[in-house]
Amino acid sequence: MASKSIIDLEKCIDKEVRVKFQGGREVRGVLKGFDQLVNIVLDNCVESMHGASARAHPDDPYRLTDKTRKLGLVVCRGLQVSLVSPVDGMEEIANPFIQHSEI
Amino acid sequence: MLPLSLLTTAKGQPMLIELKNGDTYNGRLVSADTWMNVNLEEVICTSRDGDRFWKLKECYIRGNSIKYLRIPDEIIDLVQEEEISAKDAKKGGKGGRGRVNTSGRGRGRGKGGKGKGRGRGDSGGKAGGRGGGRGGRGA
Repeated sequence: MASKSIIDLEKCIDKEVRVKFQGGREVRGVLKGFDQLVNIVLDNCVESMHGASARAHPDDPYRLTDKTRKLGLVVCRGLQVSLVSPVDGMEEIANPFIQHSEI
Repeated sequence: MLPLSLLTTAKGQPMLIELKNGDTYNGRLVSADTWMNVNLEEVICTSRDGDRFWKLKECYIRGNSIKYLRIPDEIIDLVQEEEISAKDAKKGGKGGRGRVNTSGRGRGRGKGGKGKGRGRGDSGGKAGGRGGGRGGRGA
């Protein structure tokens, strides 16, 4: 069986990416390197915090807040990574599905 | 019909992926591998409570963190077509290979030693050096 990882982050090198982890943490930073196991090196890494939002959103303690903390240069362990996406081209939008449900 | 062959057939199709953490990602499938890691493009991400939305150009999702994927119904027909054409190709090209061997032996890997060689012998996990191989590939 051909088993080769399809991770293709070459185009994101030296660009800012967002990495989500299993367990809900989320960081963003400048992609410096990665490997087939999806271990990732991030520079100027900043974690978006959610722990403090437990009071603000008791029903959803995983909800992210605006609070951040600086981590600097980081190696993200591949096993824990659940999602990688470039920050460039990412924007929050209004509900795009609403028109479908109302028609 | 294998889940992963369904997925590889669905390349280029729009689909919805829900992660274990409850977030959902709607996007077009670019590629998928044997671990169900996927690349999506033109993605809309929905938060787990369903009231916040983000647009992403592309994203890489680790198969490990996927709960389920919803794919278009048409894919099932595509897969069946592909299965049929693959079968035809096999018959045309390599037809008959291994049919002579009806004993159900041989073709294993065995190197003489114990416990090597694969295959599905009914010797209960102890498929020995002789192989207990796959007994021909006939239809």
